[in-house]
Amino acid sequence: MRRILSSITDGKGFDLVLVGVTMIFLLALAGLPLVYNVLLSFQEVDMFNLAAFQRPWAGLENYREVISQPEFGLVMKNTGIFVFGSIAGQFVLGFALAIFFMVKFPFASTIRGVFLVSWVMPGLVVGAIWGLILAGDYGVLNAILQSLGIIDGTVFWKSDPRLSIWAVTIANIWLGLAFNMMLLSVGLAAIPRDLYEAAELDGANGLQRFATITVPMMRSTIGAVLALGLIYTLQQFDLFPAITEGGPANSSTVAQYWAWQWSFRIFDFAKGATVSVMMLIFVLVASIVYVWSTRAEVRG
Amino acid sequence: MRTNLTTLLGGAVSALALSGAALAQEDVTITVWSIDGANQVGPSDTFSADFNELDNGITIDYRVLQFDEIVNETLRAYATGNAPDIVSLDNPDFALFSSRGAFLDITDMVAESDVINPDVYFEGPLNSVMWDGRLYGVGKYTDTIGVFYNADMLEEAGLEPPQTWAEFEAAARAMADPENGVYGATLSARGNEEGTFQFLPVIQMSGGSYENVNTEGAREWLTMVKGMIDDGVMSQDVLTLGQWDSTGTFNSGDAAMAISGPWEIDRMVEDADFDWGVTLLPTFEEGDERSSALGGFNLGILSTTEHPEEAFQVLEYFVSQDHRLFPEFGYLPTRGDIELPESGIPEKDAALAVFQEQLQYAQPRGPHPDWQQISKAIYDAEQAALTGQMTPDEALSQAQATIDGILN
Repeated sequence: MRRILSSITDGKGFDLVLVGVTMIFLLALAGLPLVYNVLLSFQEVDMFNLAAFQRPWAGLENYREVISQPEFGLVMKNTGIFVFGSIAGQFVLGFALAIFFMVKFPFASTIRGVFLVSWVMPGLVVGAIWGLILAGDYGVLNAILQSLGIIDGTVFWKSDPRLSIWAVTIANIWLGLAFNMMLLSVGLAAIPRDLYEAAELDGANGLQRFATITVPMMRSTIGAVLALGLIYTLQQFDLFPAITEGGPANSSTVAQYWAWQWSFRIFDFAKGATVSVMMLIFVLVASIVYVWSTRAEVRG
Repeated sequence: MRTNLTTLLGGAVSALALSGAALAQEDVTITVWSIDGANQVGPSDTFSADFNELDNGITIDYRVLQFDEIVNETLRAYATGNAPDIVSLDNPDFALFSSRGAFLDITDMVAESDVINPDVYFEGPLNSVMWDGRLYGVGKYTDTIGVFYNADMLEEAGLEPPQTWAEFEAAARAMADPENGVYGATLSARGNEEGTFQFLPVIQMSGGSYENVNTEGAREWLTMVKGMIDDGVMSQDVLTLGQWDSTGTFNSGDAAMAISGPWEIDRMVEDADFDWGVTLLPTFEEGDERSSALGGFNLGILSTTEHPEEAFQVLEYFVSQDHRLFPEFGYLPTRGDIELPESGIPEKDAALAVFQEQLQYAQPRGPHPDWQQISKAIYDAEQAALTGQMTPDEALSQAQATIDGILN
């Protein structure tokens, strides 16, 4: 008895307790809902059996119906544009900013810190602000572009079906920029200076140093940033109700917003779950990339 | 000291016993959920407080919910057996509950009631609380839509308020002034219930219904509005603006006409520094059948209530206060037997007279248990046609196919 007790306070038992608590937490709050969600997608759910566990089995019917919706293709295309547009924009601009702030100039790190403000702001607030910036008739961006003489008429960023998904993507790039920049700055700071000095002595120019030192040394950081970016982008929801509400004509509806519409606007909880399960596959791929790219970190 | 303590304890025990006895015959509590009081004081919260002051053996436990949450919250509460006794829902959401027996059938109770008389209600609001010929609730207040016009601009153009859609378009084109950022007209074709709210009347007045959406008139109307958007007579933002924001552009003089409802009147009296008026929603040809949207909330008793009698008494009390709806809250009653007192503001009184006439033509959305899916098909079609992604015929055919799938 005493041996068990002492092992819990100090020894292997203590480790097991720590791991155990985490595991129980994960299983109860992440595992179970996940399984429940998958289960929902194979059942018929309405208000009467919402609380029941036993429901009529629907098999693949929900999947068939979701895929046969006229907007399915459009939603998938929009999700693709939003995810890849956001990640590409956040990553390229974030990397550029990270490199810029590596240059030593007065207040460099302070200014870099200020950039974090965008990451701290709630998505709904960011969405509301971008909603005002991108508004059609009285939008801030239109006013600026018009006074600079770049555009003549009014550009309806939110109401033009060709632009609406890009409007949300632009807002999301701004929102995720600081996060990308910070992670990449940390990666950059970890590269030993003498590598660059040696390369410079050997006559490598800036571009060569970037391609042969910076990028290879940053591989695991880049993998992690891209994978986390994919996850954060796929769970980005707040911007959609705040800026375009998925419109017009579903031209800015993405999978995560669609799932919410199914569940909480049309009250078809099974279809909402079905869309989420489809998204799960994407997230799974991202998670594998993330785990793979960070495998070199923290061992032992 | 010891005696003191005993006495004290004894006193405490008897006090407990007393309060126990009081509990046994304590008031019946009726839970009421509504959105009134979320943004501004409304009828349900006010009447509940007044009812509690009557001290008649029934206490109302009132809870405010947000508009976006009330259906979800009631669904969840009903599914888990914690539903309130009375809930107030937007009229198209009502059938979701009444069709499944989640609302109490009050037909027989109403037949015996001295307070509630179904015959005095407008047809539209009454239909929205009916299911299969039975009555499941009462209308709380109602609203509808018409055309607000800027009387100064109309006069300048030498025109009369439009009575047909052709006149509406002609007037909008005549009054539009892109140089000065003035649009000819505005409305809400937003991709949510508001879009359906404004578009369904057009389908109905051209001989269709939510079951049959691909009418010639609806196609014509979509072509007309698309043309106005393309030519800059109407802002492309009508696709994303709600009715409140859309009418805001009218109030600031940036649109010459606006399709919206009586909830705009008070703000318009404040904000609009021009003469304005309201006219009925246009028809296709003069003398054609009229139609308009029916908005507003209903009250119903959940079938899971443990105190149906008392809940019905509360409902009767709410109905007996209908005469206060307009003077205190600016809401229109759902019944025709209540005189609305004049406000003394001529534009407001004139507008209300028009909206009261318009109410006679207002038709409910549905009722159908899957209304939200039908509504999505309708506003998706409107948006697809107005953005030019599809022709009006393609968009409405697709909506019809979706609706047929839901109805059958």
